[in-house]
Amino acid sequence: MFQKILIANRGEIALRVICACKDLGIRTVAVYSEADRHSLHTRFADEAVCIGPAKSARSYLDIPSVISAAEISNADAVHPGYGFLSENSDFAEVCETSGLKFIGPTPGVMRLMGLKQMARAAMEEAGVPILPGSKGALKSVEEAQKIAGEIGYPVMLKASAGGGGRGMRVVRSEEALQSLLGQAQAEAAASFSCGDVYMEKLVENPRHIEFQVLCDEHGNVEVLGERECSIQRRHQKLIEEAPSTIVSPELRKRISEKLREAFKAVGYTNAGTVEFLMDSSGDLHFIEVNARIQVEHPVTEMVTGVDLVTSQIRIAAGERLDEILTGPVEIRGHAIECRINAEHPETFAPSPGQITGLNLPGGAGIRVDTAAYHDGVISPHYDSLVAKLIAHGSDRAQAIARMRRALDMFVVEGIYTSIPLHRKILDHPDFVEGRLDTGFLARTGLAGVDKK
Amino acid sequence: MTNEEIKELLRIFNESGVGELELQRGKDRLRIRRAGESGWASAPPVGAAPAQSPAAALVAPATEPAKAPEADSSQVLVKSPIVGTFYDAPSPGAPAFVKVGDKVDVGQVLCIIESMKLMNEIEAEVAGIVASKLVENGRPVEYGEALFAILPH
Repeated sequence: MFQKILIANRGEIALRVICACKDLGIRTVAVYSEADRHSLHTRFADEAVCIGPAKSARSYLDIPSVISAAEISNADAVHPGYGFLSENSDFAEVCETSGLKFIGPTPGVMRLMGLKQMARAAMEEAGVPILPGSKGALKSVEEAQKIAGEIGYPVMLKASAGGGGRGMRVVRSEEALQSLLGQAQAEAAASFSCGDVYMEKLVENPRHIEFQVLCDEHGNVEVLGERECSIQRRHQKLIEEAPSTIVSPELRKRISEKLREAFKAVGYTNAGTVEFLMDSSGDLHFIEVNARIQVEHPVTEMVTGVDLVTSQIRIAAGERLDEILTGPVEIRGHAIECRINAEHPETFAPSPGQITGLNLPGGAGIRVDTAAYHDGVISPHYDSLVAKLIAHGSDRAQAIARMRRALDMFVVEGIYTSIPLHRKILDHPDFVEGRLDTGFLARTGLAGVDKK
Repeated sequence: MTNEEIKELLRIFNESGVGELELQRGKDRLRIRRAGESGWASAPPVGAAPAQSPAAALVAPATEPAKAPEADSSQVLVKSPIVGTFYDAPSPGAPAFVKVGDKVDVGQVLCIIESMKLMNEIEAEVAGIVASKLVENGRPVEYGEALFAILPH
């Protein structure tokens, strides 16, 4: 087992990994930018190294700085968290050559999953349903027109090498295709240094369903159920839950079996999430694999009882899944997570600043993952996540009741947060009755003055 | 681990042909690594004084203020632009690049910070006299850590 792990991240996920390390008796090294000098993760790690100025590119994303910090602190392994370098296969490779174990998949598998159309091809080969679309990157306007004609408009053009909405264009008619394709390619090239764009059928207002996968380094794969993340704003998830109200046990079983085959075939190791869109007919279509731990992993932890982050560490240390998972995976009860962001609940304007008053909710069935503290500062340099509020209940109704209560008792002063918005969503009949899709906020008008 | 024990370990290490030694005793952890032919031993600090908690083997968590020494306002601090290991000379046994009291010009090399096996020369950005040297040879430094104080002309 590792003696010392360096956490190449910040905020709540850095703290989450520190918790896992403490549970396992592993010493921790935090890295921090000058803006994060007083942040909570530096406080609770055994050691902390300042690696750069506030700008992420020169600190949390700076591979030499992170590796140097691991060298001088004599860490044996690196946990990348989510975002930052977590899906950077070059970083994973530098870790390897520097004698550090990267807690995640191998660089080769990360590369495969990072090239979206290659991941699509790999999944299709294993029988995982994918969205109709191009077989690879579009090589010409003519090819694009032909495929769009076959699958039918509207279609989505997507960058192969990255996400976050960049290099993405919706095309509703043939007339617009050529120009939008050019735009998407240019944007992709600028954002990801790779102008490859592929095409998929556009599913309007889909439900976003994703499956959690855990693979050891001995070829064993387990699927730990699904999460529904349909409540989004501009492709950013706001609320997630497990299990999904729309996934039947039969569908879960069928998809899990296909995913087990697919992940064995690609030689995947460690944790990963497979994202699907569900169309209005209830069919699931693969869109991408996230080869890392995800923000919303706690809802899966609450319903399965599996600690995903300690599992990641133990897998990286060579343990087998049957030692880590003490029995067949069972989904117990229901869990919901609200991402509490530092933004105005109606205008969504970012609200960085100092927290002058803080009461974290507790009580039955409540979990809070946060790096916020009284007098702590939510920095403008990084994402606006203040806390993840998770409620677990024996069924969805109880989880909802607990979440409402916890939101009411969650006090944050000094900055605006999305708590009032979450509270409204939890009250809305569409949410309560499970009528969810990515158009939820627009449809229910809860997004307020959203200039989308 | 006392200073005497560390000195003894270093003596044994230097006399042996061993390239790297790592020792953990309870919460104390020491690593000595030979860099280059002539047996350069660089031990990361396990505490400036034996009484200091060895758990903070590298740097204390950031709740303590950053180690900005008492330079008076006329002095300019040379701060490390990268994370790595500080060396005051071009190679083991060679004379130091600069000593306290030396006159330095803009662009003059003051020290080396080693990062990922690459030696990075750190140059003076002001001309003046070296007022103090703030880091011991072979010690790991973090981004922004003060290395020298220079009294500008």
